[in-house]
This record gives sequence, structure tokens and C-alpha cells, in this order.
Amino acid sequence: MSDLLTAQSMHKSFGNVQAVRDASLQIAPGEIVALMGRSGSGKTTMMHLLAGLEKPTSGRILYQEQDITPLDEDALALWRRANIGLVFQAFHLIPTLSALENVAFPLYPDKISASERKERALARLEQVGLAQRADHQPSKLSGGEQQRVAIARALVNTPGLILADEPTGNLDSQTGDEILNLFHELRREAGVSFLIVTHDDKVAATADRILVMKDGEIQ
Amino acid sequence: MNLSYLFTELACRWERSIAGILSVAVGVALFISLQAYAGGYRLAARAPLAEVGADITAQRQGDVPETFEGIVYPHSVAPLHRDEIEAIAALDGVEGVSEALFFWSFEDDSFVAGLGFDPEADFGPGRLKVGLVEGRFLEPGDRDVILADASYATQNELALGNSVAIAGRNFEIIGLIDTTRAGQVANANLYLPLADAQAMSAVAPSVLSVHDMRPDDANLLFIKAEQTQAEAVVAGVEKILGEDALVSSAESFGEQLGSLFALIDRFGILVGLAAFLFAAAILLRSIAAGIWERRREIGMMRAVGWRRSDIIRYILAETIAVSLAGGVVGLALAGAITLVMSRATVTVPIPWELSPTPHFFPGGATDFSVVVPLAAQITPALAWAAVGLALAAAALVGLWLPNRIAGIKPAEVLRSE
Repeated sequence: MSDLLTAQSMHKSFGNVQAVRDASLQIAPGEIVALMGRSGSGKTTMMHLLAGLEKPTSGRILYQEQDITPLDEDALALWRRANIGLVFQAFHLIPTLSALENVAFPLYPDKISASERKERALARLEQVGLAQRADHQPSKLSGGEQQRVAIARALVNTPGLILADEPTGNLDSQTGDEILNLFHELRREAGVSFLIVTHDDKVAATADRILVMKDGEIQ
Repeated sequence: MNLSYLFTELACRWERSIAGILSVAVGVALFISLQAYAGGYRLAARAPLAEVGADITAQRQGDVPETFEGIVYPHSVAPLHRDEIEAIAALDGVEGVSEALFFWSFEDDSFVAGLGFDPEADFGPGRLKVGLVEGRFLEPGDRDVILADASYATQNELALGNSVAIAGRNFEIIGLIDTTRAGQVANANLYLPLADAQAMSAVAPSVLSVHDMRPDDANLLFIKAEQTQAEAVVAGVEKILGEDALVSSAESFGEQLGSLFALIDRFGILVGLAAFLFAAAILLRSIAAGIWERRREIGMMRAVGWRRSDIIRYILAETIAVSLAGGVVGLALAGAITLVMSRATVTVPIPWELSPTPHFFPGGATDFSVVVPLAAQITPALAWAAVGLALAAAALVGLWLPNRIAGIKPAEVLRSE
């Protein structure tokens, strides 16, 4: 089976600082990969490169064999909208919107009816077990619930790959375990692939494969 | 565009929304109020002549006779000759000319102000018809008949059918006129056919001693002009009548209204625009601060797949909503200001050449003026201007938005915790 995502010889420099050096990786469909490393090792930069949020200094990224590196910002945004889900340690939910509206947030620019948008968002909230909290604002939800809403948001466009940056970093261990279980469930049910950026051995241990970054290089 | 998200954001960030709305409102209100104020003054300046349906009056300064006996031209105005009247009537922008002959008649121990005019003209003294309170109005071809000002008639115990003498000629009173209904310009005690006034003037010693009076001359013209060409007509009349021309128009009345009006009339649009630009700058600052506060949210928009144009369109929609709300509030504010302004009155000084009373008579030297309400109003054009200004404020912000949004790097704003 061909890889879902392939990164080849990625380099990223910020001025004189080389954040990522000759990093290559592959993620297969339905695979859960952990990217480990200490703070400052370049793992978050690597994740941003894979998401198209940063342009690499050199190297290329293939998604389903399409080279996304030459795409401009808008094309990358559309590519992300169709293929990538992002989950952050800090959740990054919109505080003024309800859980349901937060999940529907990536769909706002799409020309779809409000009812279809609501239907799709509600289905994702059900998938993460939070349909009953649809009308609650983030401030009324626990940390675990907020991360579930963020995962539902990442899933709303049915992406092939979810990039999660320290998804359990702000959660207690029991809630963190629940989130990791949810990832495995989603992999099983929907065939979604995951790249989990973490510095937590316990989190990494749940992955199919562990990659370790050090000083910008994948070991 | 998700309107629910848009209005939720505006409501949740109500302090910024109110600041933006108020800044646009103040700019719009200032701009609209200044234009309404200037418009009210412009209408007031037009009022003295509008009362007689004319846009311009033309006279010529002449010499003072040695004695004030018999018929004398008021304030020593001089005759306007037939060729000059025809040249004025032929000027571009002139829609009509109504001739009149304004005179004083000094008889032994009495004095009367008389005005000869063409009763067929529907502007100028012909408008006196609306003030007829008794009897009938002058008709074309009438001779030796006269209309009397009702208050003059009362003071002098005159009634319909009575006879009054002017320069040795008797005239029968056929109608009484309430001149207060027809305005202050061209007021006299007695009104007679133009031909009779011309005939008496052409043989009056005091007139002939200082003027080249010809039988078909007049000494006061009421001119109707196209509004857009009024200034050009004034210039044309002044050229035809020479350096002694005495021309009154809405502009010359406006000049009498004082420096405040002149300033607002000339610089009202500039001051209004400056106020509006200041308001737009405050709106820009408010939107900029809002974007800075929401940079993580905007970064998240990019991260979940919003294109830059999607974000700009969304922020612009928010800005337009704030601006339009500001425009509506500004319009309401301007309406309130205009309502207060419209309770004021404007005193428009009238040139003394148009006063019926000799300056050496009691009360004759006092200022002659018309008091009219300051008709400041918000016209549909001004209301549309408010909407236009509000949208212009949003457009100004829109010009700046792309750079600002481009400056937000999602990888940076989503990383820092």
C-alpha cells in the first residue's frame, strides 16, 4: 500500500537557526505515528511543515503522491480543509461559539446550507461522545471535553490524516488516556491516520511507530 | 458567510463594537449636520428672493437729485434701459425677467413709495396677487388704477374706490394688498401699472435732473435663473450694467449672513470629511485592536482551511456591519442635531436699495431684514451620503486588511502558549 504522506529531506531554517534538518518520514493510511523529542527539538516545526502552515526551506511533501510543496497559501488552505485535521495542546476553540459551532467552524467558508453544516458537525460531536454538550460554550466544558470538541472539529471534513500537537499535554492522565483511546477508535472505524507530536513516553507507546527528533533531525 | 458567527462575535466583543459604531456615528453625524446646517443657511439666503419667486434682483446706482420733490428714484438708483434689459433677458441661464419701476413720491407734506410692475408676470411683484385682501388685482391694459398696501390704506383712511394722487395724477384704488404675505422685497405703499409709472417718471423733474430716463426704462429687475447658472447670470448682469450695478442674489445674501456661514459653506465638506476620516481612523484602530486580540482565532481559521480571502471577507463583513450601524446611529444623531438647529431663525439683511423707506425718514436707517427659520434638513441625498460614508469607512479598513491578515502567521500564533 502506498504511503498517505511522505516527507523527503525536509529542511527549515529561521535565520541562522536550523529547526529541521534533512528530515524524512512516511505515514501509511490508518497508521498512528508518534513524533517524540525534547522541547526545541523541532518536532512542532516538523508538524507545521507537514500541515502546510510553514513553507520548508528545502525538501518536499507528498500527500497521496501529490507534491504539496509548490502550492500557494490559499491552495494549501484548501488542501488542509480537505485532507488534514489539526489538534493542539491548547485546543484553540473559539470562546464565543458553542461546541457545535466550533466543530462546524471549518465549514463556514463552504457553500453548504446551515442545516447540512449542523448535521455534519453534530455527527462528529456524536462520534466523540459529546452530542449532549453541543450547545455549551468552551468555558462550560472540561479540558477533556474541549479536546474532544477540537478532535470533532478536526474530523468534520473527513480528513485522511490528523496532526496532533501534544494532544494530551493539558489533560490529566485519565482524560489523556480517553483521548488516545478515541484516536485508536477513529483509526479503527474511519481509517484515519495520526501523527502525534509528544514528549510523553506513555503517549508515544500507544503509537504503531515512534520517531524521535533531536536537534532538528529524525533519528 | 455565517451571520450567526458574525453577530455573536460582535455581541461578545461589544465594547469594541460600540467603540467602532460610535466613532463612525460621530463622523457621519458631524458631516451630515454640517451639510444640513450649510443647506439651511443656503435656503435662508434664498428666502428673501424666493418670496417673490425670483433668484436675482438687478439695479444700478445713480446720482442723488438736489431736491426731493415729486417722483424720485429710491436710494438714488438709476434707470435700466431697454437694450440692457433685453441683453440681460438673453443671457444664458436666464429663465425670465420681470421689470418694475420703484419710486418715491414727495408731495407737499406727504410721502409715498410706489412700484410699477407688470401684473402678468408670475414672479416678482406679480406675486403680490397672493396678498390681495379686497377688490381686484391689476390686469394687463389697466391705466390710472392702483393697489394699496392694506396697512398703508388703514393708516391713511383709504378704501376701495377712493382716489389717490401721485405727481398730479389721480389713481382709483381697485384693490388692497397684504404685502406681508408676499415678502419684504419690493414692498411699497402703492402698486400701479408699469406703463403709468414709466410715463410719470419720464417727465419727473427730479428724475430727469440726474438720470437719462427713457419712456420704457425700468429701475428694478427680478430675474429667474437656472440654479446651476445663477452665479454666471450674476456675472453677466454685472457686466451689462457696469461698475454701478447693484445685484442681489442668494450668494450675496449669503455673504451678508456672516463669517461662520461663509466658513461652513466653503469648508463644510472639507471639515466634514476631515471629521469622517478621523472617525474612520478610530474605526481602523478599533478593528486593528480586535484583530490583534483575535490573532489566534484568525490563525485557527487558516489552520482549519480558511483561505486568506475567506478571512478578509469575514472581517470586512464585520466591519461593514459596524460601519453601517454607525451610519444609522450617526444619521439618527444628525437628525436630532438638525431638529434642534431647525428651531433657530436666521436674520437675512436686505440691501437698503430694496427698502421702501427713505433712510432720512424715521425708521428708514434701521437695518432692513427678513427673519426666516433655519430650514436645516436631512435630505434623501444626505441620508444616502451617510450610508455611503459608512461604507467608505469600511472600504478604507478593507484596503488595509489584506496586509494585516497576511501578517498573522498561524504557525507562530498557534505555537506560543
